[in-house]
Amino acid sequence: MARDQPLTPTRREFCVASAAALVGLSIKGDRPLAGGFVNDDMPIGHALRARAAVGAAATTVRIPIVVVGGGMAGLSAAWRLQKRGFDRFVVLELSPQAGGNSRSGQNETTGYPWGAHYVPIPDERATYVRELFAELGVLKADGTWDERHLCMAQQERLFIHGRWQEGIEPAVGLTADDRDQFRRFGDVTAALRASRRFTVPLDNGLSSEDASLDRLSFAAWLAEQRFDSKPLLWYADYACRDDYGALASGVSAWAGLHYFSSRDNDEKGPLTWPEGNGWIVKRLLERVGRFVRPGQPVRAIRRDRSEFRVRAGETDYVCDAVIFAAPTFLAPYIIEGPPPLSRCEYSPWMTANLTLETIPDLDRGEPAWDNVIMSSPALGYVDAMHQSLRSVAGKTVWTFYWALAEMEPSAGRSFLAAKDWAYWKEAILTDLERVHPRIRACVSRLDVMRIGHAMVRPTVGAVFSAQRQALKRSQDRLIFAHSDVSGLSLFEEAQFRGVTAADRVLRLIA
Amino acid sequence: MSIALFLSILLVAACGLIYELIAGTVASYLVGDSVFQFSTVIGTYLFAMGIGSFLSRFVRGNLARLFVRIEILIAVVGGFSSSVLFMAFAFTQGFQFLLYLIVLVVGTLVGLEIPLLMRLVKDRYQFRDAVSHVLTFDYLGALFASVLFPLVLVPRLGLIRSALFFGIVNAAVALWSTRLFAEQIVRPRRLQAACVAAIVVLSAAFAGGSRINAFAEDNIYADDIILSRDTPYQHIVLTRWKDDLRLFLNSHLQFSSRDEYRYHEALVHPGLAAVPSPRRVLVLGGGDGLAVREILKYPEIERIVLVDLDPEMTRLFSANPLLTRLNDRSLLSPKVQVINADAFLWVDSAPDVFDFIVVDLPDPTNYSLGKLYTTVFFSALGHHLRERGAFVVQSTSPMFARKSFWCIDETIKQAGYRTFPYHAYVPSFGEWGFVMASRADYTPPTVFPPGLRFLAAATLPNLFDFPPDMARVSMPANHLNDQVLVRTLEAEWREISR
Repeated sequence: MARDQPLTPTRREFCVASAAALVGLSIKGDRPLAGGFVNDDMPIGHALRARAAVGAAATTVRIPIVVVGGGMAGLSAAWRLQKRGFDRFVVLELSPQAGGNSRSGQNETTGYPWGAHYVPIPDERATYVRELFAELGVLKADGTWDERHLCMAQQERLFIHGRWQEGIEPAVGLTADDRDQFRRFGDVTAALRASRRFTVPLDNGLSSEDASLDRLSFAAWLAEQRFDSKPLLWYADYACRDDYGALASGVSAWAGLHYFSSRDNDEKGPLTWPEGNGWIVKRLLERVGRFVRPGQPVRAIRRDRSEFRVRAGETDYVCDAVIFAAPTFLAPYIIEGPPPLSRCEYSPWMTANLTLETIPDLDRGEPAWDNVIMSSPALGYVDAMHQSLRSVAGKTVWTFYWALAEMEPSAGRSFLAAKDWAYWKEAILTDLERVHPRIRACVSRLDVMRIGHAMVRPTVGAVFSAQRQALKRSQDRLIFAHSDVSGLSLFEEAQFRGVTAADRVLRLIA
Repeated sequence: MSIALFLSILLVAACGLIYELIAGTVASYLVGDSVFQFSTVIGTYLFAMGIGSFLSRFVRGNLARLFVRIEILIAVVGGFSSSVLFMAFAFTQGFQFLLYLIVLVVGTLVGLEIPLLMRLVKDRYQFRDAVSHVLTFDYLGALFASVLFPLVLVPRLGLIRSALFFGIVNAAVALWSTRLFAEQIVRPRRLQAACVAAIVVLSAAFAGGSRINAFAEDNIYADDIILSRDTPYQHIVLTRWKDDLRLFLNSHLQFSSRDEYRYHEALVHPGLAAVPSPRRVLVLGGGDGLAVREILKYPEIERIVLVDLDPEMTRLFSANPLLTRLNDRSLLSPKVQVINADAFLWVDSAPDVFDFIVVDLPDPTNYSLGKLYTTVFFSALGHHLRERGAFVVQSTSPMFARKSFWCIDETIKQAGYRTFPYHAYVPSFGEWGFVMASRADYTPPTVFPPGLRFLAAATLPNLFDFPPDMARVSMPANHLNDQVLVRTLEAEWREISR
């Protein structure tokens, strides 16, 4: 025992201890917290980028069509091919689990999303989406939506000025000028909506009339239109972070306005499920799962006269046509020849799922489906049990979304790769503590998923780029079908690309 | 030296005021009428201080030693004052007597303090300085205490532990005083030992403070609260006053035994007596077994399924003699099957079909409960309903929450039923509303089971008649994705309780 150690506590310790004792507060221990990184595709991605030499194939499989990528585009292509009575194809998926950005997880309480978690009510012209939802029973024969799949009340809330308000558009503490600007902005987007040129999927309405909006950033457009209300600019930034993983300065005005103008302010929606769009993935896999080969990263696609040789593992798939439904940024590492899109920017994201044993701060209101904190750099959280029919709140999973929008994408990716799980855990809990001081006592597990290239960014000039438009029209039998081709990372775009690619490939190989 | 002295004065003054505030607060809590309690407590206290001041003239001898003894006495009496008062209220008839006795004792002792202190310090300071210093710190202490009491002590420590805490402070000042006045106290050992003993006893009580609290509170309500239980789902409280048994769930009144027969007869019989040869009945909610008691009045019924979320609730109403007397041991009937499940989840998954369904669930006061009053819920309920069966829904008050009541009616209509809304007067609730629904028409029954106290065939039509102040208002249906009912109900009750 060290002699020179004082046996008495230091004065500071004494003061703290006596203060705590006197006030009668015992310091509560936090719940032990389990968790780690999950679904980490980074190593596979880096292996692809290293372009390791591809040796000779052990086996060769002859099959007319190969679909590369088992995300929403690839699965939709498979769904379409099967519906048209074609079954001689295979879907090669890099990850052990198909679904891409619509992947989901499951614990003993509920399923929960790892990415996309809702679909707005599709309009009449979104025929493929409606066809799918009719098949899945979401859209009923009488043209109404099954209420169980519509997001239940309360849909959204925003923590602003120290309290929760209903809805995400700031409504509390606005000045007359703020309100005026929100009204003016609403008029602009209403007019664009009425023009029916801002649609989802975007090809239903895309018009060169609006090309000028693609030549400046959304932030620049807002400034040009003399929008300077702080709450309005926050809302614009939030929308871009949420849908594109970028700030208003990082996307084109066309894309920013598309977010606000493409959907009806329909109070019915959106459609959502506990596991988010993972529900759609499950339903699609029930139908086309037998074609899907997960854990099969495609290493190379070579043209061999009129055929393609697609290499995955030790197998060469020799086929007549390829539907490339993987993210387009992978193409240069896999496909011979010049890249189909020379400039594509991708937003890095971090998603986390928090298992909650109890709901914190229920006395300040039940959680809504989507809960946003205005002062936070993150996007907020979504409650997976929101769509449950139970009448008493209990165990649940919250999905926490964080787009690294403020950084340059490459810097964001390095940041993602550099920080360990403990860093993200602290960042997330600290962020949530702004609104839920008791959060640490409620969470028992926190899993983090890092996605370096989470979604394509509709940067200035991207959506209307000549390369992109040419790619859409290409009659090549290597068809690009990812939502990257549209330029917006949305379920409807992925599905549209997948379905139309399937139609085209059947025409080309007929 | 002088700072330590004046700090002691400040603390002693604070302690004195705290005991006074605690006495006033405890009396207001337990007896009520806070104006009267505080007035008499403060008056008695000030009067007692006068007695103390008066008595101080007779005090001679070693003043320092006496001062320390007085402090120890105040520490013990004041420190235990709230514990003693709570216990007295719980176990004796002598609360008022003890209250004023304690206030008198503490007041007298505190009244002695200041004159003694002044005499103690008179040799150290000039008279005018001594008076000024002692009184300044005395009043400062009072301010300190009066701010601390409502903001920190009551919310953080509660009344019992606040008193004990200041008892400890008081005893600590006594201990400190043996050093302050070391010159006047020749052999301080025994005095110091007494101080330490007081601190130890008070600290031990402080550590066990919450148990004292619970012990006392249990007995305070011995005549009133028969039972209080926290389950994972709710806080169940059962009270009795004379022959009136009342059940509260999360402090909402569920029934009063004096008039619950009106509610439960109205809930069950207008519908069930009209169903031809009913054999199977479903009850959603109603874990108190009172609706089941009414249903069992039909001998032809073979099976009753009761789905209630809270196992503790159904267990209580199956086991507690007072409660089983109220529900005629209904939950123990061999015809009854109790299932503890969330109503919507059960309705969504179970296959059983019934002739009559009683929906007796809590009012839709939040979005979670609101799901039980949606088109989707009532549609799902239809899967459990025989073709010519009917169901009835307790639908809040058409008087206090008129729009909400008619919103529930509209919701059931849009779920594909014909509705037959009615109401009954239940004194402890006021006018209460029910919506009966079926796919077929409804013919009011002409015969009821024997032994009903409220319903009779002749007066039944009155229930279906809504006077103008409760008459139908046009409302949209309650859907899962808008829950207009929750907002409406909240607004209507806010209007009432304003």
